[in-house]
Amino acid sequence: MSRRLLMMCMSLLSLGGLVHCSKSSQESAQPAPAAAPTAAAAVKSTALTVTQEQQASWIRNFNPLIAPGTARWPTRAGVYEPLMIFNTLKGEFVPWLAAKHEWSADNKTLTLSLRPGVKWSDGQPFTAKDVAFTFELLKKHKALDFAAVWGFVEGVSAKDDATVEFTLSRPYVPGLVYIVHQPIVPEHKWKGVEDPVTYKNETPVATGPFTEVKVFQNQIFELGRNPHYWQQGKPAVESLRFPAYPGNDQANLALLTGELDWAGSFVPDIERVFVSKDKENNHYWFPLVGNTTTLYVNTTKKPFDDPRVRKAISMGIDRDQIVRVAMYGYTRPSDATALSDAHNQWRNPEAVQAGDWTKLDVAKANALLDEAGYKKGEDGVRVGPDKKPLRFEINVVTGWSDWVRAVQIIAQNLKAIGVDATLKTYDFSPYFERLQKGEFDMSMGWTSDEPTPYHFYRDLMSSETLRPVGEVSARNWHRFANKDADALLRAFEGTSNLEEQKKLAGQMQMLFVQNAPAIPLFPGPSWGEFSTRRFTNFPNKDNPYSKLTPNSPPENLFVLVEVKPK
Amino acid sequence: MRHLLRNLGLYAVAAWASLTLNFLIPRLMPGDPASTMFARFRGELQPEAIAALREAFGFTDAPLHEQYFTYVGHLFQGDLGLSVSYFPAKVTDVIATGLGWTLLLSGVAVIISFVLGTGLGVIATWKRGGWLDSVMPPVLVFLGAFPYFWLAMVLLYGFGFILGAFPVRHAYSDTLAPAFSGEFIFSVVQHMVLPASAIVIATLGGWMLSMRSAMVGVLAEDYITMANAKGLSQKRIMFHYAARNALLPNVTGFGMALGFVLSGSLLTEIVFSYPGQGYLLIQAVRNQDYPLMQGIFLTITLAVLGANLLVDILYVWLDPRARTN
Repeated sequence: MSRRLLMMCMSLLSLGGLVHCSKSSQESAQPAPAAAPTAAAAVKSTALTVTQEQQASWIRNFNPLIAPGTARWPTRAGVYEPLMIFNTLKGEFVPWLAAKHEWSADNKTLTLSLRPGVKWSDGQPFTAKDVAFTFELLKKHKALDFAAVWGFVEGVSAKDDATVEFTLSRPYVPGLVYIVHQPIVPEHKWKGVEDPVTYKNETPVATGPFTEVKVFQNQIFELGRNPHYWQQGKPAVESLRFPAYPGNDQANLALLTGELDWAGSFVPDIERVFVSKDKENNHYWFPLVGNTTTLYVNTTKKPFDDPRVRKAISMGIDRDQIVRVAMYGYTRPSDATALSDAHNQWRNPEAVQAGDWTKLDVAKANALLDEAGYKKGEDGVRVGPDKKPLRFEINVVTGWSDWVRAVQIIAQNLKAIGVDATLKTYDFSPYFERLQKGEFDMSMGWTSDEPTPYHFYRDLMSSETLRPVGEVSARNWHRFANKDADALLRAFEGTSNLEEQKKLAGQMQMLFVQNAPAIPLFPGPSWGEFSTRRFTNFPNKDNPYSKLTPNSPPENLFVLVEVKPK
Repeated sequence: MRHLLRNLGLYAVAAWASLTLNFLIPRLMPGDPASTMFARFRGELQPEAIAALREAFGFTDAPLHEQYFTYVGHLFQGDLGLSVSYFPAKVTDVIATGLGWTLLLSGVAVIISFVLGTGLGVIATWKRGGWLDSVMPPVLVFLGAFPYFWLAMVLLYGFGFILGAFPVRHAYSDTLAPAFSGEFIFSVVQHMVLPASAIVIATLGGWMLSMRSAMVGVLAEDYITMANAKGLSQKRIMFHYAARNALLPNVTGFGMALGFVLSGSLLTEIVFSYPGQGYLLIQAVRNQDYPLMQGIFLTITLAVLGANLLVDILYVWLDPRARTN
């Protein structure tokens, strides 16, 4: 819905842009009238204006423990901080409230040493007791444990004021990210909270850089600096301002009129629509560190249970065309490991080399299908041994225009290899229900978005995530499991040695390349736009200290403390 | 009076029927709220969190009739539950953030459109064949054929974005806090001009045309000829004899329009980021936020019923036949 609306609005805008272009070429001496609305002039230069959530009006809620995306941005990270932050671009954990972490020899005990001198925004000291209290709260209220930490943690204890010890029920090194990304709340404020699950926490007391609610109205709110912030001299920005925009198109409009300083939305044809409006100040950076857009095939059904067929379909797809036409050239075709740039340091060159099935090769695809026993019928559509023609629907979400275009291209491409695929659009809920229940032939989808390839491949190949068709499964929608993958994943869980982990991740990639459980299309760009009219020091390709996008907490905390007024 | 009382009974039945439909329809929708909620995070949450989400939002698998009794019971206590998409805010709180603004924007727009359109209809018929009668109806019908939100986008682009004459979003300036001051009220009016214009332009034609056709019929009646023959002033004939009698269909329409004020301007609100109720409804449907959906439908239903009741009362006053029947 909102995407369709966005497209309409954008096309309207670009239509106007065209009119305007042709006009200004005639009267080139005239200054551009476009970017001068009244709203932008009134904005105080001390407040950084950000858009991340799309809402028509704000509900005052700063509870960091409930479902991400429910409390106001940046409650998780900018207000309540985690113990450490994984920096996707650098591929490493950055110490935050915890100064360092240590695994025991058997990888069953995790010890975190806290940073000295951290204070809550009411001046009280932050201690290990707060950390233990927070995790106990998650144990008591299952509904708060979104990372399912208590699935592998056995106990948490504050050894002294500055040391917390987690004992695990089994060696589980990949669990680190779920523990250290948990926002920590102050015991002295939260022990009296009756029901933390429905608590709105209207006046937060936290350790983050922005903790003071200066303004809260239904169409705008403003957060001011924490007077006791532990990083001396930071943040440099006096306050954060959040106007409410109900959708992408309104946010984009604000971006064009110069009202916004920082955003993370999809903007079609951004060079022309956004950058050209103010070349000096308008910038964007879309590093390819998002999850991978993938074409899932239902491996429980014929002919998709045959890896040769999966590879042939993949080879029949012209990814260059998809990237160029459907994605405005913002990304590149995936290689056969399916990993995005977020996992560059894990990529196994041998696996990439071995995977030829993500490159367009119609002849080879046809040969593979012939070999698998699917002969071309009279109408050019291949027919299986069971006399069923290869005729499928590809499910996609109504209005997700980039995906819809990608599927149109795929359907066109697949004709050349004798597969008759048609586009089938659903509203998001029914689309996602079919995906989760495994009730589809082919479906567009995404992959998980976590620090190591462990999580990535667990969701694609592990029998732990496998559910029967018809049962809701949060992951492994294509229903694929492999015993070798299980063994590799288990081994990965038990080692904190990076070299060992890399070796295992390399083997997982090889396994994925050999079996082609899913068909990766392209790595997802991480959307981010900024304007340097009022503020500087945003991350960009010349200064890639972090992701730019405000959409992925807690990494946006890096940006929040680094951005400076001009 | 008997007429009104009998109608009140009908209203009660209608209210009950819509409450029940209100309960049933969201539950007949495909999909499951917890997984939709989960999907919003596109892989950021752990799979195990689905169970946590179910628990947090209190989704139950109780039999439908049990859910229905709980629903009705809570309704009578004014408790509409917690919203899913705005968790953990109460549905009543969520609706309260937008209801006032929606009522203001659409209410003002509908009233302006009704008064202006009806007035134009009266004058156009009175001076039949004049320029107002020949030019306005086709132009207004043409404009009325466009959906509100498209007109809204054109206005936004032309007057807001290019000319910068009016603000392009929100109900009042972001630098102000709501207060009963001249500055604030001016800001509200200024912010209302474009979205209200979009609604007025799109609906004006309907009022004018229906008033015109009713007037044409009335003007052919004998009592108008009689009034003319008696030598009454033209103004008196136009308003007291013709317009008052021709107004009835428009009054019915006005009642309907008032009722739909709450839902009608949804897309206009979205185009202008107006903090009204429109986006809440879309958000609720998208996230299968049953409690919020029900709350919003309930306010719409009650508004439609309330407006119709008002029209009934107005009818009794306008039309003597309604009193005697």
